[in-house]
Amino acid sequence: MSDEEHHFESKADAGASKTYPQQAGTIRKNGYIVIKARPCKVVEVSTSKTGKHGHAKCHFVGIDIFNGKKLEDIVPSSHNCDVPHVNRADYQLIDISEDGFVSLLTENGNTKDDLKLPTDENLLSQIKDGFAEGKELVVTVMSAMGEEQICALKDIGSKN
Amino acid sequence: MQGFSDGGADLAQLQSTMRTIEVACTSIQMHINPTAAEATILSLAQSPQPYKACQFILENSQVANARFQAVAAIRDAAIREWSFLSNEDRRSLISFCLCFIMQHASSPEGYVQAKVSSVAAQLMKRGWLEFTAAEKEAFFYQVKQAILGAHGVDVQFIGVNFLESLISEFSPSTSSAMGLPREFHEQCRTSLELNYLKTFYFWARDAALSVTNKIIESDAVIPEVKVCTAALRLMLQILNWEFRHDTNSTKASINVFSAVVRHDNASSKRSECVLVQPGPAWCDVLISSGHVGWLLGLYAALRQKFSCKGYWLDCPIAVSARKLIVQFCSLTGSIFASDNGKMQENHMLQLLSGILQWIDPPDVVSKAIEEGKCESEMLDGCRALLSIATVTTHFVFDQLLKAIRPFGTLTLLSTLMCEVVKVLMTNNTDEETWSWEARDILLDTWTILLVPMDGSGGNALLPPEGKHAAANIFAMIVESELKVASASVANDDGDSDYLQASISAMDERLSSYALIARAAIDITIPLLTRHFSERFVRLDQGRGIIDPTETLEELYSLLLITGHVLADEGDGETPLVPTAIQTDFVDIVEAEKHPVVVLSASIIRFAEQSMDPEVRATVFSPRLMEAVIWFLARWSHTYLMPLEESKCHLSHGYDHQHQSIHSRKALLSFFGEHNQGQIVLNIIVRISTMTLMSYPGEKDLQGLTCHHLLHTLVRRKNICHKLVSLDSWRDLANAFINEKVLFLLSSANQRSLAQTLVLSASGLRNSEASNQYVRGLMVHMTTYLVELSNKKNLKSVAQQPDIIMSVSCFLERLRGAASAAEPRTQRAVYEMGISVMNPVLLLLEVYKHESAVIYLLLKFIVDWVDGQISYLEAQETASVIDFCMRLLQLYSSHNIGKISISLSSTLLSEAKTEKYKDLRALLQLLSSLCSKDLVDFSSDSIEVEGTNISQVVYFGLHIVTPLISLELLKYPKLCHDYFSLLSHILEVYPETFAQLNSDAFAHIVGTLDFGLHHQDLEVVNMCLGALKALASYHYRKMCAGKTGLGSHAAGHGNFPEGIFSRFLRSLLQLLLFEDYSPDLVSAAADALLPLILCEQGVYQRLGNELIERQANPMLKSRLANALHSLTSSNHLSSTLDRVNYQRFRKNLNSLLIEVRGFLRTM
Repeated sequence: MSDEEHHFESKADAGASKTYPQQAGTIRKNGYIVIKARPCKVVEVSTSKTGKHGHAKCHFVGIDIFNGKKLEDIVPSSHNCDVPHVNRADYQLIDISEDGFVSLLTENGNTKDDLKLPTDENLLSQIKDGFAEGKELVVTVMSAMGEEQICALKDIGSKN
Repeated sequence: MQGFSDGGADLAQLQSTMRTIEVACTSIQMHINPTAAEATILSLAQSPQPYKACQFILENSQVANARFQAVAAIRDAAIREWSFLSNEDRRSLISFCLCFIMQHASSPEGYVQAKVSSVAAQLMKRGWLEFTAAEKEAFFYQVKQAILGAHGVDVQFIGVNFLESLISEFSPSTSSAMGLPREFHEQCRTSLELNYLKTFYFWARDAALSVTNKIIESDAVIPEVKVCTAALRLMLQILNWEFRHDTNSTKASINVFSAVVRHDNASSKRSECVLVQPGPAWCDVLISSGHVGWLLGLYAALRQKFSCKGYWLDCPIAVSARKLIVQFCSLTGSIFASDNGKMQENHMLQLLSGILQWIDPPDVVSKAIEEGKCESEMLDGCRALLSIATVTTHFVFDQLLKAIRPFGTLTLLSTLMCEVVKVLMTNNTDEETWSWEARDILLDTWTILLVPMDGSGGNALLPPEGKHAAANIFAMIVESELKVASASVANDDGDSDYLQASISAMDERLSSYALIARAAIDITIPLLTRHFSERFVRLDQGRGIIDPTETLEELYSLLLITGHVLADEGDGETPLVPTAIQTDFVDIVEAEKHPVVVLSASIIRFAEQSMDPEVRATVFSPRLMEAVIWFLARWSHTYLMPLEESKCHLSHGYDHQHQSIHSRKALLSFFGEHNQGQIVLNIIVRISTMTLMSYPGEKDLQGLTCHHLLHTLVRRKNICHKLVSLDSWRDLANAFINEKVLFLLSSANQRSLAQTLVLSASGLRNSEASNQYVRGLMVHMTTYLVELSNKKNLKSVAQQPDIIMSVSCFLERLRGAASAAEPRTQRAVYEMGISVMNPVLLLLEVYKHESAVIYLLLKFIVDWVDGQISYLEAQETASVIDFCMRLLQLYSSHNIGKISISLSSTLLSEAKTEKYKDLRALLQLLSSLCSKDLVDFSSDSIEVEGTNISQVVYFGLHIVTPLISLELLKYPKLCHDYFSLLSHILEVYPETFAQLNSDAFAHIVGTLDFGLHHQDLEVVNMCLGALKALASYHYRKMCAGKTGLGSHAAGHGNFPEGIFSRFLRSLLQLLLFEDYSPDLVSAAADALLPLILCEQGVYQRLGNELIERQANPMLKSRLANALHSLTSSNHLSSTLDRVNYQRFRKNLNSLLIEVRGFLRTM
């Protein structure tokens, strides 16, 4: 059995499709889902029936992965939902510019300079402080549905 | 605030203390600066010897709260300082309290009185084992005079109340903590039971008797009523005592075979009904003195007064009297002479005839309640029936009423319950009404009467009249359940009731129904069959015309009831066909006409219709299908190819009841292997496959099919045998491999299905075939993972949602298969795991940000290693261990130092939870590896290859521990797993622990210290165990002239003092100054002894420091003596053997009792 059999029409080209259809019943907690055109992480799934002898429906509670807002949706469990293609890539942090952009080193040695720092004070300070202390930081950039954001950072040892 | 101390206090000082406390109490009430006020009050309780001040407040303060606080302070101080109060002081404190309550008997502030009385009781208990009999007599003389009415009604009431507090203080479940070991409470309890309890009962009875006539003669409420109520309450309390010392009936002397009246403890576990078993010594006061007659007479007289002012059905004295009467119904045991139960029967008959007026005639009683009469008397009547049922057999129970009525008690029970169910049916609300409660009590009564007791599984065979009664009530129950079902369709709020939830909520009720049905099985089975066929016909005729929902819901209910009637739950065992069903159908010769066969066949035929898509769409809603699957699972567990089938003609061949045997055989063999069994099995498998394929997204239904039905099938070898030869099973396996629809099953179901299919391989001829079967099932999944991981663009492809879904699905399946490994299929499962080792590591890399997938990967490996490790040969073990270590390192390198950044606090806490779950899985992995040293089935020893498990596990721990922050240890399960692993490896491999590098060592020691102060008792226990292991290892090595823990013990760098002295200090600190459960003392002693032995010098120094800190010279010398005897009394030596540990435990206990009281408040 080759793996093509499991794909829904996917081309190998990553990022070609922003979302994929998936049966609502198969979407689990900690998975992703599109609610109201926003990519969300599912933090709660519950099932119920429409009427006593009706069919199952799924109730999703999702958190927008970029802005942290809570969204909810109810879908019959045999119907399809959209699942966002969430990509994450690690880059080494080279510089933080005055205007709030970061400069990142990609795997093939180029730099990526189009990413803005988060505006939230708290998150901002987590990144800035680490960088200011001279730690060697790797940031994880999460992208989905045309948006991208730093979602994690990791200290891989001090520069010396 | 030493100012409260009253050494040589003068009046002015006492008054100022009183004012301070009064102000504090008032400000608490007004809520002005309550913290400061509380501190003031606390300082009174904590100051040394505050008794004079407290007594002064009690006697002089006008503020009730101040008096309350003062007596509370007396209690706290006296309990704390007890060991160094003089005997004189102790007694005077108790006398003071007793006199105080007697003198203020008419005081309106009841709560102060109650507090003083309870403090008197607590102090009396504290000194109970030290006071001489004469000293106790002196206290009780005063109390007795009061109770017998020598000082008027108010004092009488107070006296009775004091005994109530005293008894609840002596009863272990209600006693207050005194910082003493459990044995103390036990000794007090025994002493009270043997020497005083009966006397108290006499006093209570006499108090009640002394006022009975006045109450009966007077039409108004008089003060004596209060005394009588209190006395009744006290008697009830005494009868509630958990009697232990039933003097001449040791458990052995009970004739367990006597079927007449149940005496033994077996009956007590059947219900929450408390059995009253005071033993023969109580016969005179409770039985032969006409006490019950008096009580019933009193209540009968009260009933006449309910129309009078001040009396009503629920007035306190009536409630107390009824409770006491119900309590008398539970009287049993050796208090009754061994006269074949005659005496007990008479006793119960007397009670029953008194109670009868409360419940008979049932229709009149229930009508009166519906019209507004209070229901409590009727409910108490039901409770009395329940109690009588608890202490008798159904035979004796039934006979009781026949002495005074033309019918038996069972008939009364049945009519009574029918009335209740009728009421329940007419006002069907969600609120809990009296009819709910009555129904539940009566149902319990039936259960107790009918449940098979002797373990033989034999159901009680009721007499014809009783059987009739059971059949009647069952018909009524079914009718009402059906009505409830069809009515529930209308109120469509039930979108949250899943089958599982509703079954377990109803389960108890349903099994009681089943007991009743089985008592009249030859009537009830045909009744159920009729109900089913009526509804089948209704569905058939109404298809497309009428809305079937009501009928569907009725069928749902019927399926649940029938499932319970026909079969028992296995509880992990294979349930037998219920005895009633095996034996009660005597005249059935042809299997096809056996009522059980007819009923089962009709349900199976109905279920089979679900295969037709058209019928499925109109009739078989997911909910109905759930009930069908549930029924099929339960039914097939008992009836499908039963194991007894082959045995039954052997064991009973000579039985004279040929008829019964014949029908039994007919029933058992009908669905047997050689008869209809295979056909039915085929149908069931096809239905199962259909529910998985044709009900997309119905997780609950599919869950039932996977976990319940299919799982049940593969549990039995003979069924597996047939399964693997069935086409329908092959179709299921093929669908599992190829059908996309089945990739969509939810994760748990996915896993369970894989597990089931792998387990069914045990039905194949030999190991070779079984392994081949498993390979065939799993090879597609492993190939997929291998090919995926070999892709050049894996990194980008892997992130696609559809790939993630397939990977997750296959990992779940691999995990299911891994957890199904049996010796027979172990090879295939091992190869399956080995073939994906590399892909697993690659996937761990590419999915490092996809926590959901990572968790699946880890869980798969955990289950696989757990299932395989004990079978592996040395070479294989080495490679598996190597793989696990790479996995751990990889995981660690991805996660160490990683910080998630998100705006959402929910997502952050989710991230933390995910981390916790991962780590827990990793700890489980290490535990599994540990087990290789304990259980090993391989042919060669692993040492041959030089794999040292202990080093491996420490190395693993080395990788994992840095990830386990103290923050994460707040997750109880992780904490638990971590410390149990830690205490295990420290116990088994302390020598390897010594080789850890100092960072890892420090980290582990840090967590131990954290665990030592954890709230969870078990965690602390495990830490103490770990400490004991470490310290005793070190001490033994030192004694043998070796280095033991070497540099770690000596201390360096961060810990200049060395770990043992550090732990010695913190353990002593904990034991002497902090709060902990008394249950920990033994474990703490076991850890403390080797610690002291390791660091004797440090111990001496710490002891001296403690003593020096003590300012008071008296306390100083007490402390010094106590510390001295900790290490010297009881012939304590410096060895670490069992005897010595035991001695040290004793010593530590006495030390704590001696000094903790004053140390903690300093």
